[in-house]
Amino acid sequence: MLGNVAIARGFLEAGLQFAAAYPGTPSTEIVEALSTASRVLGGKPYVEWSTNEKVAVEAALGAAIAGVRAVATMKHVGLNVAADPFFSSAYLGVSGALVIVTADDPWMWSSQNEQDNRWYGLHAYVPVIEPTGAQDAKEAARLALSYSEKYKRPFILRTTTRIAHTRVPVDTGEIPLEKLEPQGEFIKDPSKWTLVPQYARRKRLELLDFWDKVSEELADFPLNSVEGSGDIAVVGVGIGYRYAKEAISMLGAQDKITLFKVSTSVPLPRALAEKISSYDTILVIEEGDPVVEMQLKTVLQELGSRARVYGKHGKPLLPRYGELGLEKVVSALSTVLGIEPPTWAKEPPKPSGQKLPPRPPVLCPGCPYRGFFYALRRAVNKLRLKPVYSGDIGCYSLGVNPPFYVQDTIIEMGGSIGAGNGFSHVLRGDRDIVIAIIGDSTFFHSGVPPLINAVYNKAPLLVIVLDNHTTAMTGHQPHPGTGVLAIGEQVEPMSIESVARGVGVEKVLVADPFDVKDSETKLVEALRYVKENKKPAVLVAKGACILVALRTAAKNGIRPVPYRVNLEKCTGCGICYTAFNCPAIYRRPDGKAEIDPALCTGCGVCAEICPFKAFEPVEEPNPEWFKIMRTARPVY
Amino acid sequence: MSSNTLNLVITGVGGQGQITLARVIAEAALLRGVNAIVAETHGLSQRGGTVIVHVRLGEVEAPLIPPGTADAILAMELIEAARYAYYLRKGSIAVVNDYLVPPPLPKIEVPSRDELLGIVRSYSDRVVLVPATHEALRIGDSRVANMILLGAAIKSNIFKDFIDFSSAEEAIKRVLGRAAKPNIEALHRGADLAK
Repeated sequence: MLGNVAIARGFLEAGLQFAAAYPGTPSTEIVEALSTASRVLGGKPYVEWSTNEKVAVEAALGAAIAGVRAVATMKHVGLNVAADPFFSSAYLGVSGALVIVTADDPWMWSSQNEQDNRWYGLHAYVPVIEPTGAQDAKEAARLALSYSEKYKRPFILRTTTRIAHTRVPVDTGEIPLEKLEPQGEFIKDPSKWTLVPQYARRKRLELLDFWDKVSEELADFPLNSVEGSGDIAVVGVGIGYRYAKEAISMLGAQDKITLFKVSTSVPLPRALAEKISSYDTILVIEEGDPVVEMQLKTVLQELGSRARVYGKHGKPLLPRYGELGLEKVVSALSTVLGIEPPTWAKEPPKPSGQKLPPRPPVLCPGCPYRGFFYALRRAVNKLRLKPVYSGDIGCYSLGVNPPFYVQDTIIEMGGSIGAGNGFSHVLRGDRDIVIAIIGDSTFFHSGVPPLINAVYNKAPLLVIVLDNHTTAMTGHQPHPGTGVLAIGEQVEPMSIESVARGVGVEKVLVADPFDVKDSETKLVEALRYVKENKKPAVLVAKGACILVALRTAAKNGIRPVPYRVNLEKCTGCGICYTAFNCPAIYRRPDGKAEIDPALCTGCGVCAEICPFKAFEPVEEPNPEWFKIMRTARPVY
Repeated sequence: MSSNTLNLVITGVGGQGQITLARVIAEAALLRGVNAIVAETHGLSQRGGTVIVHVRLGEVEAPLIPPGTADAILAMELIEAARYAYYLRKGSIAVVNDYLVPPPLPKIEVPSRDELLGIVRSYSDRVVLVPATHEALRIGDSRVANMILLGAAIKSNIFKDFIDFSSAEEAIKRVLGRAAKPNIEALHRGADLAK
């Protein structure tokens, strides 16, 4: 079972009634699993994909205020978006239960930064539960929800990539089916549920009392334990515990070590900290920042202890960036034990000195964005413009790479239109227009308020919404534009064009990204409009995510027909594999093009862009496929 | 590492089925009562990017395999085989799909197949080359290449007693459901190719 699925299972076993999320790696599969469960169980618990993390936390908090057991899940940076209601939730408390899952991504496998969200716990006075692996992630989820219900306070469940995306066998318990139905009831009490200063001040004092109390009581948290009775204390926090345990056994150091398994990292329970501080030598192993190490050192200082604490501070034995690894932990532990680490830990083999080509993630073969970016470059060149491409988070972030270079800035979700507002009012010199590029899901997530701002403040920028009818990068979750809910119910889809017109954009265009000529014409028209009228314009490019299209085609028994190169017509000009850059097209040693049939999806855009008409389908394609390619939406 | 464990690195290009391959291996191990941990790559790397999946079988706790300690690498692509070969230990085995996907970057220099295999050989004593994608396309579906590679790997004895053909077959049924049949056929085709 995947760690995230185990977490979903734990929530269900605790009688979860409400779940809200915005997808983000490595958190997505939690609510994916919950929506599958809800579909099977007839709509219980209530599960939704919210438009963004702030909305998800607000919705879950509302449900929890009404006495419901609720969770909101997100990736680490999602909590930044949700920080406002999150801090308030600590003051308000709940009458049901509220757990906020933050999935941290050390070494940024799929993120714009590395941030340790346990600081949010310290900052907002919200306790943090950290499972030590996928094994007890299920248990941690169950306990977090029940502790939240017990204390009537929000709890954080923090994971890191190697918990979220690790698959291990997990024992499951019963799901109390009768408890999954939300039965919300709101009891009016402004002194309890409104944070006007007179009440908020009182709540601040209550919050501090709670913090002291929970610091005492979390020492007995069922997932905290002590193993062994050696002279050296090793504190294994979260996934750090797994590395510590295997490292100890590898070095045969079981009788020298007392291993503290810590699953309540914030607040570090006082009693536990005192127990640890009775050792002279302490090694703290945690992924991310030295959050437990710092809390522990505070307690040691108060106790006047002279224990030596090794970790990420002072003379660090573990790095403050990236993920933990056995080699790092074995090496740190060897130092503390005063022994020579094994060679593989001390001097891990390096990658071969020979230069290997990098392989950054690329737009899939058949992705509508490739044809559109190609058209965008042509339109910009035609008008001799030098735009600032204000970029955003999503598949189209890959436009940062050659040959497109159509993402000059990537900040956060919604940042394209937001920063585009700024650029468009201040640019001087040769940068003569601002093009903000955003996806459909991201537009609904946080693109609307900055668009309103652009209209109201007359920011001259072109907003391109790349609409592939799904949240593609995280695995095809629905959003308000898709016309389907998390558990599969069909609803009226929301039109991006109507939203744009509704907030006052006067020029709204729609283009077909699989039709390069159409895209280019519309782009030229939109760019001219912005230049001449000094007002924002919106261009929506609509084409299905090719992965969804392929799935839909397979379901309907339609086989897309791959293309091939007519070598007599191919002159080796290279436009297809350099400027258009489809991954299914290669350069042959003689400079001519070749298509890998294993990669070709039969989108046919290569045939449009080739000046020599050298691309042709290997047989007559089914016209249905070209319809599916443009319109397919995920089916749940 | 100890003889009670097996460390496998699975690599390739996003979209070639590395995660499915890892799931089948883990499921096959669990069916024989062997503990398994699979640490996957998701998100940004899911299509066209470089992918590494860590599979650890036996008495293991931590999710990631340290460089220099992998018992075997299963590579779906030659450049990725060379990129991650440094995870291998002495005496290890590399099972490599004889298939090269040049990264779609303009003006990129791609080493030759022989150069790439040379890199793999510098880390591994035994390289088993399998024309998995070629064979899969011949059968009619490039997606079964990963099971062809698995068949060849089992035949090459990299799994010790941890998994065998019958547990792999059962695992394919559990993981792939309706698509099991062509994948089981591919598994055995892979075994033939490794002879």
